[in-house]
Amino acid sequence: MAKPNFKFKSTSITLLLSSILIVFASCKNDDEDTREAEDIKVSQTMNAELTAPPQVPKPTGRRKAKKLVVDMEVIEEESEMTDGVKYVYWTFDGTVPGSFIRTKVGDEVEFHLKNHPDNKLPHNIDLHAVNGPGGGAESSFVAPGHEVVFSFKVLNPGLYVYHCATAPVGMHIANGMYGLILVEPEEGLPEVDREYYIMQGDFYTKDEFGEPGLQPFDMKKAIDEDADYVVFNGKVGAMTGDNSLTAEVGETVRLYVGNGGPNLVSSFHVIGEIFDKVYVEGGDLVNENVQTTLIPAGGAAIVEFKIEAPGEYILVDHSIFRAFNKGALAQIKAEGEGNKKVFSGKIEEGIYLPEGGGIQEMPVDEEELAASRPSEKPDLQEKMELGKNVYGRTCVACHQASGQGIPSVFPPLAESDYLNEDVKRAIDIVLHGKSGEITVNGEKYNSVMTAQNISDQEAANVLTYIYNNWGNNGTEVTEEMVKAQRRN
Amino acid sequence: MYRFILSGMCLLMISAGFSQESEMAAIEGGAYIPLYGNDSLPVSVENFKIDKYPVTNRDYQKFLLENPKWKKSEVRALFADGRYLAHWQDDSHLKPDELEDAPVTNVSWFAARAYCKWRGKRLPSLDEWEYVAMADKVSADARKKDGYNEFILSWYERPKSFHQKVGSTYKNYWGVYDMHGMVWEWTSDFNSVIISGETRRDENQDNNLFCGSAAIGSSDLMNYAAFMRYAFRSSVKGNYSIRNLGFRCAQDSNEKENSANEAL
Amino acid sequence: MKLYKLMLLSFLLLGVSCKNDKNKSEETEPVAQAETEALPEMSVFQLPSSWTTQEGEDIQLEELRGEVLVMVMIYTSCQAACPRLVADMRNIQKKVSEEANEKTKYVFVSIDPEVDTPKRLKTFAKENKMNNDQWLFLRGNKDATREFAAVLAVNYKRISPMDFSHSNIISVFDKDGVLVHQKEGLGTDDSKTIEAIEEHAID
Repeated sequence: MAKPNFKFKSTSITLLLSSILIVFASCKNDDEDTREAEDIKVSQTMNAELTAPPQVPKPTGRRKAKKLVVDMEVIEEESEMTDGVKYVYWTFDGTVPGSFIRTKVGDEVEFHLKNHPDNKLPHNIDLHAVNGPGGGAESSFVAPGHEVVFSFKVLNPGLYVYHCATAPVGMHIANGMYGLILVEPEEGLPEVDREYYIMQGDFYTKDEFGEPGLQPFDMKKAIDEDADYVVFNGKVGAMTGDNSLTAEVGETVRLYVGNGGPNLVSSFHVIGEIFDKVYVEGGDLVNENVQTTLIPAGGAAIVEFKIEAPGEYILVDHSIFRAFNKGALAQIKAEGEGNKKVFSGKIEEGIYLPEGGGIQEMPVDEEELAASRPSEKPDLQEKMELGKNVYGRTCVACHQASGQGIPSVFPPLAESDYLNEDVKRAIDIVLHGKSGEITVNGEKYNSVMTAQNISDQEAANVLTYIYNNWGNNGTEVTEEMVKAQRRN
Repeated sequence: MYRFILSGMCLLMISAGFSQESEMAAIEGGAYIPLYGNDSLPVSVENFKIDKYPVTNRDYQKFLLENPKWKKSEVRALFADGRYLAHWQDDSHLKPDELEDAPVTNVSWFAARAYCKWRGKRLPSLDEWEYVAMADKVSADARKKDGYNEFILSWYERPKSFHQKVGSTYKNYWGVYDMHGMVWEWTSDFNSVIISGETRRDENQDNNLFCGSAAIGSSDLMNYAAFMRYAFRSSVKGNYSIRNLGFRCAQDSNEKENSANEAL
Repeated sequence: MKLYKLMLLSFLLLGVSCKNDKNKSEETEPVAQAETEALPEMSVFQLPSSWTTQEGEDIQLEELRGEVLVMVMIYTSCQAACPRLVADMRNIQKKVSEEANEKTKYVFVSIDPEVDTPKRLKTFAKENKMNNDQWLFLRGNKDATREFAAVLAVNYKRISPMDFSHSNIISVFDKDGVLVHQKEGLGTDDSKTIEAIEEHAID
């Protein structure tokens, strides 16, 4: 593991199709690296240090991979969006973004997710750092007043977003249910002087920006992507004034920047600084001397810069109206001696899928209907079509979509010697079932297939379909052939 | 003297009868398209009756008196988890800051079922409940109205709404209160919701986890309010006792209301 | 709490009976019975419902006490997942050791009691060569079925006159009816299921 390396998250391929999704893709030998990471042994158990933003836990340094216990609680609570404006946030650990999780490649994370008893809703968590279906979402689905435990091994170094993925996903994210999980490479990230945790999010309220009172979430605006608030760390002014981040002149600052979305992509920029280093999209690609870096919804980046001069540095989403009209501002106050040479004067995973597919209706067109009815003497092509339907209804569950069967349970129909050897036997099995040991393509099977309750024509069609597919011998089975095998 | 007693008894019966009469609302059956249904086909609901109010802490107290096996200290874990009646300080008393007339929550499905049985009733089916819950103040099916959905969505964001007396939200078209804006409610077949914890995946036709799931989808994408109700139902198990989850009872329309009260 | 009390009680009784050396057998018997009567808190045998088997016999779940139960909910007219659930059950039964199988019953509970009459269940059992003591097919009324599903965390819904949508879960109960393992999905790894059966069947 010389270099961190990011693997395509195969887990969510299907999810990605219709969503704005960011994929950490790199093409070199990632399988090898992942396999290596998989094999890393963990030595001890430790409780993960979790921090509220803008703080991050201490570096993993040279520690070995461990079993890391992460304890998180989902809390639905009212808090302040800006002066006089209240909002009911849904949070991981009571903050937006949720606690920062810091892990190291090879760590086995035992994740405890609790849903506070007073909460109204079930929640879950999808960690982009997880290799597994849904990123843990399904195994972490938890009702109010309950706790679930699931575990995963972190294999790919990088900075990842986690978020709630319970329906309606967009609403859970829009209410603040996101955070960052860092996976450090084995040797750890290089040491720096300061580290902070910042996450952008867009909020949608019934009234416009600044309108006082408890503001409910506005689904319509969220769908229209018409944000009232675009903020860092959950509220306006989370890191300005007295809450500003601090640094000393001469220090190198590293920011872990995420974007929870749900909708907007961030053009992250620090006014008065050039990023010496950007880990683009939180991955292993390092870019240097960057003014503004793009952080997709459901994505992250690590940026580093050295503070050269004292004063205030403003962090913004450089889609600039968001900064000055919707709240996307933060500050770093730098103290110390100025270097006159440098400066002489002042100074989305946001997977948002609308749940549910469209309503599909069957064609009612008379012509289409007529066409879909079987003709009296179907030709081979028609038989294949009809047979395919029968197959889909009756056979597919066990023999699978391309006839591959299920190893050691259901024999394959594809390139099957047993099938091609004897068509009468095949017909007989469809009509009357089969049990006991048989050998197909050298493998032994000993299971039971029940007699299929289908007509002679259907049997002929489905067998024809099977024989004319997947490398079989192309036999055309007729109704008469089927009839001949019927026992009385 | 005799007459006195008799008339007194009559009065008692009348008053008892009166309170029972007003306890349930008659619902005229019909067809509706549920959020998750038979390929989005209309589902028909028969005539039935449903409690106008959720069952309260006070009501539940009576039940416990007569059915001690449902007391907090007696109940079996199979039927109610550790949070059962967590807002009661002991077997028969609420904690001091709780309201007697607030809906009883922290009750499991098994307990809710037993309560309704005791009242000679049953839990409403999911379809019955949804059917009644479609109504706003003036119409039987208000699901397309913005105000209706906004009201429900705003409830999701209002903390501790279980802490209010029954009847504090609106009376709907059927004369039923508190279907929205107070607590979640159990239904007899809450476990007929076939969505997994991973709702995004439910949309692709993954037959592995749920047989036949391909046939099920959401009929109204905008109906987020209902969507969350279904997600909630799919997250619970029969012995879960949850702070925001109460219940009310229902009855077939040909059944006589109330048999248990006669025993009181 | 209650469980502790009962255990304490039975220990006390045992203690008493041990003092009287003679007549021990007579005295310990009722004690043993008292012990078996106390079902664990999470025992599924507490469900009061009664069921009909494929042989047409009426039984209470509690009558199955003393054997490990491997249970699955299906309906016989199902064409999609059920044949595979049946195959999964068959495979589990095959892989479990003979010794454990002697103390194990494989139980199919119908989610479609209207259609799945005992006769139909019997036919289904025969067709699938599950026609002996080890295989049990149960049918209850709708209410009992819904209740049983709630205990198993199996969700199901009728989606057309012929078909149900349902979760594919195989559950293992110990001899006292306490759920000890669940396997979700079709054709998924069954080694843990087999482990659970072996562990609880062989004392």
